[in-house]
Amino acid sequence: MKRAIHYLNQFFGQIGGEEKADHEPEIREGVVGPGILLNNLLAPEVEVTHTVICGDNFFGSHKEEAIERILNDLKDKPFDLFIAGPAFMAGRYGVACGAICEAVQEQFGVPAVTSMHEENPGKELYYKSIYIFPGGNSAVAMRKDMAAIASFAKKLATGQPLGPAREEGYIPRGIRHEAFIDPPRLGADRAVEMLLKKLKGEPYQTEMPMPKGDRPAIAPAVKVEEAKLAIVTSGGIVPKGNPDRIQSASATKWGKYDISNLDRLNAGEWETIHAGFDPTFANQNPNVIVPLDALRAYERENKIGQLHPYYYCTVGTGTTQAEASRMGREIAQELLEAQVSAAILVST
Amino acid sequence: MRLELGHFFVQDVRFGEKTEYRNGVLTINKEEAIRVVREDEHITEADLVIAKPGDPVRITPVKEAIEPRCKVSGGVLFPGTLNKLMPAGNGRTHALKGTAVLAVGKHWGGFQDGLIDMSGPGAKQTMFSQLINICLVADTDEAFERYEQQKKNRALRWAGMRLAQYLGQTVKELEPDEEEIFELPPLNQRSLKTQQLPGVVYVLQLQSQMLDSGYNALVYGWDANRMLPTLMHPNEILDGAIISGSFMPSSSKISTYQHVNNLTIKRLMREHGKTINFLGVIVSNLNVQLEEKKRSAYFVRQLATALGAEGAIVCEEGYGNPDSDFIYVINELEDAGIKVVGITNECTGRDGRSQPLVELSDKADAIVSTGNVSQLLRLPPMERVIGDLQSLARDGNSGGWEGCVKEDGSIEMENNGMFCADGVTGDHYKTVVEY
Repeated sequence: MKRAIHYLNQFFGQIGGEEKADHEPEIREGVVGPGILLNNLLAPEVEVTHTVICGDNFFGSHKEEAIERILNDLKDKPFDLFIAGPAFMAGRYGVACGAICEAVQEQFGVPAVTSMHEENPGKELYYKSIYIFPGGNSAVAMRKDMAAIASFAKKLATGQPLGPAREEGYIPRGIRHEAFIDPPRLGADRAVEMLLKKLKGEPYQTEMPMPKGDRPAIAPAVKVEEAKLAIVTSGGIVPKGNPDRIQSASATKWGKYDISNLDRLNAGEWETIHAGFDPTFANQNPNVIVPLDALRAYERENKIGQLHPYYYCTVGTGTTQAEASRMGREIAQELLEAQVSAAILVST
Repeated sequence: MRLELGHFFVQDVRFGEKTEYRNGVLTINKEEAIRVVREDEHITEADLVIAKPGDPVRITPVKEAIEPRCKVSGGVLFPGTLNKLMPAGNGRTHALKGTAVLAVGKHWGGFQDGLIDMSGPGAKQTMFSQLINICLVADTDEAFERYEQQKKNRALRWAGMRLAQYLGQTVKELEPDEEEIFELPPLNQRSLKTQQLPGVVYVLQLQSQMLDSGYNALVYGWDANRMLPTLMHPNEILDGAIISGSFMPSSSKISTYQHVNNLTIKRLMREHGKTINFLGVIVSNLNVQLEEKKRSAYFVRQLATALGAEGAIVCEEGYGNPDSDFIYVINELEDAGIKVVGITNECTGRDGRSQPLVELSDKADAIVSTGNVSQLLRLPPMERVIGDLQSLARDGNSGGWEGCVKEDGSIEMENNGMFCADGVTGDHYKTVVEY
């Protein structure tokens, strides 16, 4: 028998209405309110052993404390699943369900499931980290929403293979992996049939919903004559031999190289390890990617303030957007700490 | 333009006294076949090995796949590359279906080479696991690129074409099991009924990112990097006018086998006159400079518009940087009022959380996704390896890395290195779904 713990707010936890929304977190043995329904739906494979109750206001205004106290209450309780809600359209409750699910999942490595209306603000905040089922907008949908949670939670607890989000019914978490279409449908047929539908104005389903792009605003201009300038590149220029073993494609590493005593990068001492372009010119003259020679000249002519003693480098071919963002953040942090005020980002 | 394709369904391939095809069995005189391979003095060592579906076999580094074929009439095989330059797409061509000649490096692999498992979980990744593969395992004297990550693989790719032609000759005089006729009359010679159907173009974006010649896809022997988008008859492609290049991680590539078997073109030909008016193939490219990307996109738009296209399927041979060429073309076509379906793979990272394409657009609202290049695969050891398994770890394969080949022969790799696995010409049932 697998064990589940259920989270409810003060209202569904039968403490009281809005006047009890400051109710502090507590844990009880057994089920409360909608937990009875949940327990019935999960039986016989899973049993709800405990119920956590917390007021929505308390959670909202003391979020860190609430999470910490709840995690502390759960520490000595063995459980395989954490279930919160359903929260319907209740905004504070939805955010609390999302936050506690995420925290419990991270702390105990136990899968967490909740349900809320797709317009509940909790959905946007947490759909990428936990399983959220799209729910109704009020408790009228309790039976239906709880059934959706329970049948999926049972699968999780008993280790059954999980299908993609669309099959299982939870809100897609932005995690895309390969799958084999069963029964097989070849790409050619999928493409032509999709086009025929699109031409006729019939509904069709793209296999790659376009995510919203992340385009930061362009930063205000800097005074280059006063700037402390750094060179950052995805062009793969490294000391000969690639001491940091930066990958030639799909990079996950970046390097930082001291150029404080150099006026230029000499061929033979520096090279590119980038696998996505013809390296001939870059190897003949690494300064075409790391323009140290030109920037030193500018430095002497006082056209720039000063050059940061290091340049930063990774390889930008086949590199995933997530890895690129992480490396970008790490490099930017170093630049901030070194009070660099401008960077030249050389792409290839 | 009328092309008759005669199909011979090969049940078995074996070595024997005489190279011949009889009752579904292709017999190969190995010595004679190797002599054909070694007509090029750059081939220093060569062997042939047969790998069948279900065999406990792993093949790598695979550089190219070619269907054994012969021209019975109306031209030559692979004009402008293997044979003299002539128009392709007319007359009669015979093909040994269910088989492929694979050009496999005896030792040396590279960024662009691929891996094929003939059984086990890896066999689902690529359609080439379902073919009887005639593996040409060879080494060359191309010392200049032996330790280069990017290889032109010229001697091996051309040897593969020669071998495919040699084997194809066995069915030149025979009656095929099945015949497919491809005919697409000029635009002004189509029935009124056909002309009233929505006009559709197929846009093929060939891989052409290398500035040096020798790496990019070739159109009648011409480097796709040095061309502007042009209109081709679908028969030309089905008859060998385009051959695969030797650049781009393998899973994103279109092998020569896949060009002549382009299933999207074949399906569009079948729909022609029934649901669509198939206007032709716009062959475009994938470039590294912004102006080149834009110029090609404008040409594609102009050609499609002038032809009266209402719909288009856009196929991208690559991922990463060329995603921008793909999106530019989709944007241009949609802006011209042409409804587009794109077919491509994606790169969402091992955790599946990265954005699928480098460039995004709300106008790309109908995409067929054929794979995730960064899908992590853990594959058990195989009893036999054809080629050199260490090349996956040693030679800069786009799906491998130092240490990815374990002592017991099991491997960890990214789908990137699976041979032509993401079937952007539409020949596989793999996709990407959201969890």
